[in-house]
Amino acid sequence: MLILSRRVGECITIGNDIVIKVVEISGNQIRLGIDAPREVRVLREEINNAMKEENRAAAAAFGDNRRIEDALKQFPGDSPKKSHE
Amino acid sequence: MLLNNFPGTAPRKAMNDEVISGVAEAASLMGKEIYFPEGLLGFPDEHRFILSRFHPRDGSQSPFFVLDSVNGALSFPLIHPDLLSWKFPLPVLPELLDCLQAVNGADQLVPLLIVTMRDSVDDITVNLQGPLVLNPISLRGAQMVIENFPLCQPLLSSSAPDL
Repeated sequence: MLILSRRVGECITIGNDIVIKVVEISGNQIRLGIDAPREVRVLREEINNAMKEENRAAAAAFGDNRRIEDALKQFPGDSPKKSHE
Repeated sequence: MLLNNFPGTAPRKAMNDEVISGVAEAASLMGKEIYFPEGLLGFPDEHRFILSRFHPRDGSQSPFFVLDSVNGALSFPLIHPDLLSWKFPLPVLPELLDCLQAVNGADQLVPLLIVTMRDSVDDITVNLQGPLVLNPISLRGAQMVIENFPLCQPLLSSSAPDL
């Protein structure tokens, strides 16, 4: 991993069109500003990881057995809400 | 592309009811191949999917859709947010329109939510943080990321999430 030191207000560039700026440092929290092309995905790592895990869980749970049929018995109508009315 | 919703960056536009379509529009996509340029999170190499209705073996009607990868490796159960008991306000960002090759206000976008089955029916959740959005005109799809929406919202809960 490349490790660089930066002060508040200084930037790092990645490739031709991604710029990351240190906006503010307060205690152990750092605020970063990120300029990147629209098509580049920028996510907090924990959000990215949780979403990947949830997608995998959704695919695996459906693939194991189509438990959705049991779920359907809970709300036979068109709306899940109806089962609770 | 997967879309972000960082506080302090691109402002979230209010949901535009004219752009977001209902279940009927989703039904019009049945059997068509939909191209996800960036795949889904965790599955970046799966790009081609087919949407279908979920048909229970007993022949009954079902509110669920199924998204299958063309190669058969992946399947996701989906539900349209209109079938939930609370309103799902999908933010429409310019990046989303770009990715779906949609013309703002012209193309009807179809939101669908991934359902995660659990051992107990009461534990089944729906992913509000990562909705799929499909464009029936371009036949493109993308998974958005809305950071402040819940990842695991109980499907059968009648209490509305804080959106």
